[in-house]
Amino acid sequence: MRELAFVWREMLTEKKDILLSILFGFIAGITAVALFAASGYLISKAALSLPVFALAILTAVVKFFGLARAVGRYFERIYSHRATFSILSNMRVSFYKKLEPVAASLTQKHRSGELLGRIVGDIDRLQHFYLRVFYPPIVFILIFLVTIWFTLFFSIKIASLMLLGVFLTGIIIPGYFAWRIRKKDQAVRALRGEFAADSAEFFNGYRDLKIMRETAKRKEELEAKSSATLKAESKESKAEVFHQAVNSFISLFVTWCVIVVGAYLVTTGELDGVFLAMLVLISLTSFENAVPMAIVPAYLQDSMTASKRLSDVQAVTSNNIKQTIKLPEEKPFSLLAKNVTFTYPGEERRALKHVSVHIPVGGKTAIVGPSGSGKSTLLQLFLKFYESGGLEVNGESTQTLSQEQIWSETNVVLQQNHFFSGSIRDNLKLAGETLTDEHLTNILAIVQLHHLSLDYEVHEKGANLSGGEQQRLAIARALLKGKRVWLLDEPTSSVDLLTERLIFNYLFDRAKEDTLLLVSHRLNNLEKMDQIIVMDSGEVVESGTYNELMSRKGYFYHMREIEKSVLV
Amino acid sequence: MKNELKAYASGFKITHLFMILGALLIGASIIAQAFLTVEIVNNVFVNKTDFEEVMPFLMSLLIVLLLRPFLSYLMGRAGVEMAATVKQRIRKALLDKFSREALLTSHQGQSGQKVSVLLDAVDEIDAYYSKYIPQVFKTAVIPIFILVAVSTQHLQTGLIMMVTAPFIPIFYIIIGIRTQKKSEEKLEQMTVFSGRFLDTIQGLTTLNLFRQSKKYRTIIKESSLNYRDATIEVLKVAFVSSLMLELISMLSIGIIALEIGLRLIVFNSMSFATAFFLLILAPEFYLSLKELGSAFHTGRGSMSAMKKVSEELGRESEEVTWGDRFIENRKTPPKIALKDVSYQYKDSGFSLSSLNITIAPYRQVAVIGRSGSGKSTLLHMIAGLLPPQQGEITVDHHSMTNLNEDSWFSQVSYISQHPYIFTGTIAENIRIGSKNASQSEIEDAAGKAGISAFVATLEQGYETIIGESGRGLSGGEKQRLALARAFLKKPNVILFDEPTTGLDLYTEKVLQSAMNSLSQNATIITVAHRLHTIRKADHIIVLDQGKMMAEGTDEALYESSELYREMVNVQTEEVTL
Repeated sequence: MRELAFVWREMLTEKKDILLSILFGFIAGITAVALFAASGYLISKAALSLPVFALAILTAVVKFFGLARAVGRYFERIYSHRATFSILSNMRVSFYKKLEPVAASLTQKHRSGELLGRIVGDIDRLQHFYLRVFYPPIVFILIFLVTIWFTLFFSIKIASLMLLGVFLTGIIIPGYFAWRIRKKDQAVRALRGEFAADSAEFFNGYRDLKIMRETAKRKEELEAKSSATLKAESKESKAEVFHQAVNSFISLFVTWCVIVVGAYLVTTGELDGVFLAMLVLISLTSFENAVPMAIVPAYLQDSMTASKRLSDVQAVTSNNIKQTIKLPEEKPFSLLAKNVTFTYPGEERRALKHVSVHIPVGGKTAIVGPSGSGKSTLLQLFLKFYESGGLEVNGESTQTLSQEQIWSETNVVLQQNHFFSGSIRDNLKLAGETLTDEHLTNILAIVQLHHLSLDYEVHEKGANLSGGEQQRLAIARALLKGKRVWLLDEPTSSVDLLTERLIFNYLFDRAKEDTLLLVSHRLNNLEKMDQIIVMDSGEVVESGTYNELMSRKGYFYHMREIEKSVLV
Repeated sequence: MKNELKAYASGFKITHLFMILGALLIGASIIAQAFLTVEIVNNVFVNKTDFEEVMPFLMSLLIVLLLRPFLSYLMGRAGVEMAATVKQRIRKALLDKFSREALLTSHQGQSGQKVSVLLDAVDEIDAYYSKYIPQVFKTAVIPIFILVAVSTQHLQTGLIMMVTAPFIPIFYIIIGIRTQKKSEEKLEQMTVFSGRFLDTIQGLTTLNLFRQSKKYRTIIKESSLNYRDATIEVLKVAFVSSLMLELISMLSIGIIALEIGLRLIVFNSMSFATAFFLLILAPEFYLSLKELGSAFHTGRGSMSAMKKVSEELGRESEEVTWGDRFIENRKTPPKIALKDVSYQYKDSGFSLSSLNITIAPYRQVAVIGRSGSGKSTLLHMIAGLLPPQQGEITVDHHSMTNLNEDSWFSQVSYISQHPYIFTGTIAENIRIGSKNASQSEIEDAAGKAGISAFVATLEQGYETIIGESGRGLSGGEKQRLALARAFLKKPNVILFDEPTTGLDLYTEKVLQSAMNSLSQNATIITVAHRLHTIRKADHIIVLDQGKMMAEGTDEALYESSELYREMVNVQTEEVTL
């Protein structure tokens, strides 16, 4: 149950709707019982001959209960759904808060789209928790408590029989099945996950499989996996069907016992025969409320899995952050990495090995190297996307600074920059609400985006902008932010060389006094940098100015030679 | 669409018969349950008999009560089994279709979509077979059973049921369909909404960097509450309609109760037993009618999933045709010739037209052209991954369509810019395609491809798990692994999509020497990006906008082709910019 702490907390803020839905659910359930009790009593009484006016009263009562039941059900539905959606909204907001500090590391890692998609899916799945797991048992128990209390007036024996029935159908049996499902569920999920992963691999590696004559074999393996998964899943479904059958048998069996005991008590004279039909009908209808109890275990398991996965996304917060330390505003500062060795969480391979880099105040440093050399990792560590020692910003260890402090004093362009659906203006104004249209238009011209108007509608994730346009827009946003330290991760990789040069010329002019760290996989346009760091497999292999490196004829020189010979 | 779901269910005659039988027995047990209950109460209450006399009835009742859940369980089981069989059939059909397709673009989005059809859409079909069909059988039988039983006891009550019953389906049709449409729209909106939430989460880093995340927090809260209120408005309509349904059945039961009461008391024309019997069966009758409605709702979701599946199954796709001719000469590379080969993409309109190319054995061919000139398409067609729409490709004068697929692919290697690494060990990844290779052959190939030093640094060596869920590899390491695969396979045709940039110097060096040594025994066709690869080639093919503009050696082309000169020169200018 600990897994459910997350949904639990968010649920309890909606007390009013919860209470109302329980109240109306109770009204709907209890009036149904009352309705049949009254009609059972009515016909029994009628069999003993009854004045017509009494009949009229009784039928009126029956009609009233019928109406009350329908109306009660209506309001129960409204309030329970309202509560569900409010809880969903609370969970979204609270999860959003939780994600804020870890978002960077989550989105930078590969396959993160899938992870975030799963998170959103899990939150959506938790909407069933309230609607199907939490409040139906409460309503069920309340109805029974009242029904049994009512029955007590007629026969203690029958009342205790019904209590036993509630105990079995409401607690023991669902509990037992929940426990059984729980054991099997993990295995089924694992099988399913394997089938999903293998299918994805089949499609992603299709070309290689075809050439390697492996398609037929892999297809057969997939079929076998699918069939194994289906077998396990149908076993689970059969268990569920069995559970429903057992639950409904137990409730019918309790009714049977009520009939047996009732009939016996009538023959012994302990119970007035006129109540027998009523008690039988009460038992039959009140156990109808036990039907939703049969689906509780499955939904409970589902909610627990979803909730557990959500709580696994841990908010990493460092304890030793000194809020008193402030980075200078409106002034450039230095960046320093001292013998940094770093491994991504969950990976074996070291992404950085003993890397030392010093970027003084106002320094311009480029980091270059082949893909996978660790050049972006260093930049991400300065931004504190991951925890690591050995990094200093303005002479302070990044471990004593909060992410917000670093982020708010730097202009950052990442490899993947996010654009929201909305106008170009909206997307640029993230950098400042008060920016004027004139200012924004100027910046667009500087990044060579004259052709885009401020009113141009950007689709979700900037889908209708080319890679180069997205990068230039991200640079524009960074320029508008106007801080004095720049951290740029391959900001122009999709921009042609000529445009890149124009933008860089402006940027270097603008950032003359600023500290700038540029990660680049291209070796062009680096002549103005006062330091180029060359990395390979997580290590610094060379450093110097462009001219120094070229005349040294080392790693950089050879990479440059190859680049020169590549026809794009 | 519905027919398709039915079509898949049609192979289950025995299951269907079984379900009809089960539904009949359930119907009978409902009647028997009501009858026995009434007999017992009537005997002890009205006839004042002894307890012993009702014992047989009690025992029979117990059996009947046991029968009903047992039958429901058997029917449910049969439904689950039917669903599992159908799902496996559909998956098999999908996989058959996917594995025959010429070339699935390795584009991420598309493969994600295919996985979702194969898994989620197929799963959504489940409810149709496991829930809807058993329920349909039950609903088709049970109300009729009750109606007949009630009518034999008391015709008037049966008539009331017959008159009021149609109101329930009619109501479903009138209100249900309208709200259903609306609620389906809502469901779509919900997907959109949760998509937007996802969008915001994905943009959280950007929001953080611009210190806007608090503002978006409020936006999320507001919009999700607005969404809640809008949804409740729509749901209200649906709830009102079920309120009306409830009232109809309540009203009908009320009418029946009133009629029974009047006959019992005023006219004295009915016995207590009959009255009690009718009172127990009346709600069962309306309940089973209402259940059909909710089963219908379950079936609907399956239908839209089936639509997705059949769209995928019905989608036109290209298949490469193969024959049964085995390649006899495996010692020397074949002569490959393209005759008037054309290919056109349907959606983009881009086409490769009338290519005539002959590639002699052991040739080193470089295909060059700007991006979008059709280089990769050409390489895919020569590889046998895409079928030419016109013209033919011959291998040693035999049309490729007559060759045995396995026989062709066993002598071809394709080294792409981004080789795919499968989840598995390094050894498995090298061995793929050459099943019988021994460990020493694998290590030998790894040595030639320059990865043995790297493997030696790993704790588990060749048994290290790589791929999606294993250790990550850098771009250069992946490239060298693909080379090791080629060294092990010893192909005599190599198709090579040369990487542009981003490789480390070591891999660059290995790549050059590896291609040199592989070329000793094979024809190599390269989509070339490096000047030295182009200059070294003994046959250069220049493509532009899907047409072959020129072919020949570097020297000859520099003399004769303006386009070639331009490409080579512009290159040098751009770099020195």
